[in-house]
Amino acid sequence: MWLSDGTVAHLRAVADMPDSAGTRYRILEPVGRGGMGVVYRAEDAALDREVALKVLRTPEVQPDLAARMLDEARILARLEHPGIVPVYDAGTLPDGRVYCAMKLVRGRRLDEIVTPDTPLTERLRIFRRVCEPVAFAHAHGVVHRDLKPANIMVGEFGEVLVMDWGVAKQPARADTPHGSPAHTATAGTLHGTRLGTPGWMAPEQERGDVDAMDARTDVYALGRILRFLLDIGRAAPRPLRAICERALSSDPATRYDDAEQLGRDVDRYLAGAAVDAYRERVWERAARLYARHRTAVLLVLSYLLMRILFIAFG
Amino acid sequence: MNKAVLGMIIGGVLGIFDGLSALVSAPETRPMITGIVIGSTFKGIIAGLLIGWFARKVDSLAAGIVFGLAVGLLLAFLVAAMPSATGEHYYWEIMLPGAFVGIIVGYATQRYGRPATGRAHPGLS
Amino acid sequence: MHHETFPPGTPLPGGFPLTRLSVVAGTGHDDPALQREAWDALIRAYWKPVYKYIRMKWHADPDAAADLTQAFFADAIDAGFLRRFDPSRARFRTYLRVCLHGFVANARKAAGRQKRGGGYRILSLDFAAAEGELHRVLGTEHDPERYFRTESIRSLLGLAVSALREDCRDRGRETHFALFERYDLAETGVSPRPTYQQLADSLGLTVTQVTNQLATVRREFRRLLLEQLRAISGSESEFRAEAIELLGVDPDDVAL
Repeated sequence: MWLSDGTVAHLRAVADMPDSAGTRYRILEPVGRGGMGVVYRAEDAALDREVALKVLRTPEVQPDLAARMLDEARILARLEHPGIVPVYDAGTLPDGRVYCAMKLVRGRRLDEIVTPDTPLTERLRIFRRVCEPVAFAHAHGVVHRDLKPANIMVGEFGEVLVMDWGVAKQPARADTPHGSPAHTATAGTLHGTRLGTPGWMAPEQERGDVDAMDARTDVYALGRILRFLLDIGRAAPRPLRAICERALSSDPATRYDDAEQLGRDVDRYLAGAAVDAYRERVWERAARLYARHRTAVLLVLSYLLMRILFIAFG
Repeated sequence: MNKAVLGMIIGGVLGIFDGLSALVSAPETRPMITGIVIGSTFKGIIAGLLIGWFARKVDSLAAGIVFGLAVGLLLAFLVAAMPSATGEHYYWEIMLPGAFVGIIVGYATQRYGRPATGRAHPGLS
Repeated sequence: MHHETFPPGTPLPGGFPLTRLSVVAGTGHDDPALQREAWDALIRAYWKPVYKYIRMKWHADPDAAADLTQAFFADAIDAGFLRRFDPSRARFRTYLRVCLHGFVANARKAAGRQKRGGGYRILSLDFAAAEGELHRVLGTEHDPERYFRTESIRSLLGLAVSALREDCRDRGRETHFALFERYDLAETGVSPRPTYQQLADSLGLTVTQVTNQLATVRREFRRLLLEQLRAISGSESEFRAEAIELLGVDPDDVAL
């Protein structure tokens, strides 16, 4: 039988649509596509709200991803933070595909929202908001391992969310059976496995050195993101470049220990204080202090000028 | 350091400076310089205390500066109103520096120093 | 040479039983019945794309193209060129096309020589219908290679629809297929797709029944489509890669 081009396209989409019959979700439309599967906008009939339904490809096609996605759901369920997309539900659809229901984030990716016209302070504030959920994850022993601008969403109200924790690593829990998929996907990732995105991976990630991957691996990726944000505009000030260089150090021992430390150094820069990563020269320190306390300095100088004038003409 | 203490320190330092400047601007006051410096310092400390106390109560840069200016001018006026040994009044030479001191202390206590908890903000009940 | 074999009925992760072997495994199997089934699946899927490709690439007239198509598959069965296929080097569709190039070049040199596959039945092929389909794009499509891929997909989907029709008839689900035909096979160029309410009214069903039955029949369609795809894939990994490309919208869509 003859199928027109339009019918062919429709049948291809139909074949890929998940079957949500019998579940509380009604699939509306695809909104994104990743390596693991497709994300759909769906209606949650039980709570009368829209959700993002991430559905894996059929298990015939990629059987190993189901365990990884369920691991991602478990990690997200334990990390409750405004900057981490909350997960509501996970399970298996009638057609055998694994799904995960999450908050539907309406916004734009970081690399789409930041332009050369975005002021430096605004770019740094966005970066600071990226560090917060990552720092929270680090405090709970979770490493993201795939931080990049494409995985950071900025919502319509300026909220920043870190997405796609699919390759996150967490320490194996004591009750996780050794050799189980959950164990393997966490502390037991195979040595030599390269998880992450080329161009954003730390050197230890490139090598597949799983044992060396920790919070500092994310710090490296955050350094890349910071450099990306700085390179968009004019040449960045030396303290910021120094923060970048420290985060991007090939030796993890010389990087910041975690996202919290990195974020605090950026905070210091924003507050006009000295940053840990950069040793100021005397004149640079004087210039910074002047910039930070400009009004007070000018008032005192005015007072002294008045005194001098009194002496000269009094 | 709380704002009142900060105000007293800045007011005191500027008061000492004010007093010592008399050696240059009015050399005939040299024999009385000790008293001048003590008096000026005391005036600065009182101004700093009042302005710093205000800063603990009201969180507003504009209000702090205006209050500081008013206190500085008032205290300077009280000093300038006393005639000198020659019977002259040095209103301009005393009140202008006094105003500056008040403005500086007013700005500094609003901008720096540890605030008190639960202070009012203009415009809030 | 690498090939993968799974005994029929072996369950895969996710509980989906394997009912088809990959094309290489099937055509090289010891069991003649499985061999025939594999060749049938391969020829059903590819004869139209091959015919259209020969017409477009070498500008052969319809009769010559039909002869070449028949002879190509006969030669494939006879000479066993599939045994030389290495899945690690190329996809099966690409390999097939390369073999076709070689075959046509040789056939032109030795015109008139024809072979028939010994002991195998060549399916009756409706070349007139294929010619009619070709005329829809003649003059507008200028890339034979891309056209071959497009027609392979169209052929595959067509086979899945035919298999679905048979499956629904065997299970007494004529209504299910009717819904699928009226909704998912509807040509939307002239008029819009019918609403669920319209479908319900025309078939004496409720909207809920329409929703549920469409979901059921689409699930079957997907299963049959993947089954057909596996049967013409060179290996399990090729099947997975082809399935990812085949299903859903353009893979170049922005990733989330």
